[in-house]
Amino acid sequence: MRRTEYPEALRNLIAQLRQMPGVGPRSAERIALWIVQNKADAPEQIANALRSTRESVRPCALCGFFATQELCDICADESRVVDLLCVVEQPTDILPLEKTSAFRGRYHSLGGRISPLDHVGPEDLRIQQLLDRAAKEKFSEIIFALAADVEGEATTNYLVDLLKGKGISLTRIAHGLPAGGGLENADELTLYQALSGRTRL
Amino acid sequence: MLTQLQLRNFRCFESLALELDAGFTFFIGGNGEGKTSILEAACVLLRLQSQRTSTLSPLVRVGAKAFAVRGRFDEHALEFSYGGLHRRLKFDDVDQRTATEYLRLARVVSFANVDIELVRGGSDARRRYLDFLGTQIEPTYRSTLRAYERALRSRNALLKSATPRTREIAAYDAPLIENGTRLRDMRATIVDRLAPFVRQAHHEISVTTEKIDIYFSPGAAEDFAKDLAESREKELRLRQTVVGPHRDDVDLFVDGMPANSFASEGQQRTLALALKIAQARVFAASGSSPLLLIDDIFGELDPDRRNALLRSLPNESQKLVTATSLQWRKDFAEGHVFELQDRQLHLR
Repeated sequence: MRRTEYPEALRNLIAQLRQMPGVGPRSAERIALWIVQNKADAPEQIANALRSTRESVRPCALCGFFATQELCDICADESRVVDLLCVVEQPTDILPLEKTSAFRGRYHSLGGRISPLDHVGPEDLRIQQLLDRAAKEKFSEIIFALAADVEGEATTNYLVDLLKGKGISLTRIAHGLPAGGGLENADELTLYQALSGRTRL
Repeated sequence: MLTQLQLRNFRCFESLALELDAGFTFFIGGNGEGKTSILEAACVLLRLQSQRTSTLSPLVRVGAKAFAVRGRFDEHALEFSYGGLHRRLKFDDVDQRTATEYLRLARVVSFANVDIELVRGGSDARRRYLDFLGTQIEPTYRSTLRAYERALRSRNALLKSATPRTREIAAYDAPLIENGTRLRDMRATIVDRLAPFVRQAHHEISVTTEKIDIYFSPGAAEDFAKDLAESREKELRLRQTVVGPHRDDVDLFVDGMPANSFASEGQQRTLALALKIAQARVFAASGSSPLLLIDDIFGELDPDRRNALLRSLPNESQKLVTATSLQWRKDFAEGHVFELQDRQLHLR
């Protein structure tokens, strides 16, 4: 006996939805059923939002953050400190830093990090753009805020090697204990890093 | 103490559950019945690694997508499931993002026939021996080893690349040196801690008065950074990193002669056994008696050495022992005996 299945169109919708991150077969099926059974126009609004976002949002020409104009809000903001730059791996790393309000300079997102084991080399990242900016924008300090792991450290070293000797102060964010946390809650590696990165009083 | 062990889609077992007691538990059965796999499951549950293989994928039962091991150790519930990209850890029924808390609980020492490779085999067997010990007593060992290996593999990939990648290779020098120096120091300390126990254990189980020496032999000079810089030409020629902890070794001597080439097979077996007993004693000395997994070696030792071994094992340790038969056990009535037949356990 032939097994009854959803119509071809619905099966196709499920297959398309499954391409999205975090959507497995069960979720894809539930979303697809919600779409075809919805009595209001919510699915149409989602479709419109999808199309208009795809058309209007692009990476900022300068820093790589999400923008609707040529420049993102941060790069276009003239009240920001112009001689301070913070380098991050991904554009999504910018928002958490912004939330601290501790940094009033501009950003540069690399779009990843150098990782030979994942076949990512410097040519795959926005490194040339960083060098161009460093030559043009007269930074007094560049802060590196990459991940505290092997690839993050290697990428920082690579960039420092390219940027040193240009009269720009090059710094790296500190690794250590989470704020408000006692020593007993920290794992050994964090404590080790906090100890070796201690500051003079 | 391990009181419960459950296996699901692990090696040849679709499903198996057993309860364990203190002291000795014996598993007997023919070849291929899965005795060793039960010991392996205990090791994987407690240490998240196998004493037999370096990757976990061969442990998934053929035809299944993932294995799961579950158990209770000292009133804590442990659960670990693994299948390719899927990897899940639960400690007291709470999902764990990292293995730090989980791995703090239990210590394991494994005895097997292949231990003789520690003495006569290549240096990788001896590095694995140090790593197995190091990850269990030094909280930062595992992450340092991982970071070192990642930096090393990245660097080697760059050295093998067709176009010159000098600046990228140099970018990986710092993480390699930093983690490599820490790893080397931790390994050197471990060998220092082991050495007196190895001599002592060897003296107890061998009937002779042979003198045992054990030295750590680092794979890079004291100044790793300088050694690495000086090896640049050679590594470009050989297209791999030629100095560093991946070349570390442990040198073993019996009466002043290298044990791998000058000792007899009997001497090598005794020394390998002493190395493992020493491992157990290092744990016992640091205040936690390890679970001992003893795979198929009791039956093959002569009665003198078997009794000597039994006397040398930490008394308070729980011991899981496999054997093809128990005929040798006449003089030794302690413990439960499980018989394995057709993937089923029967208590005898």
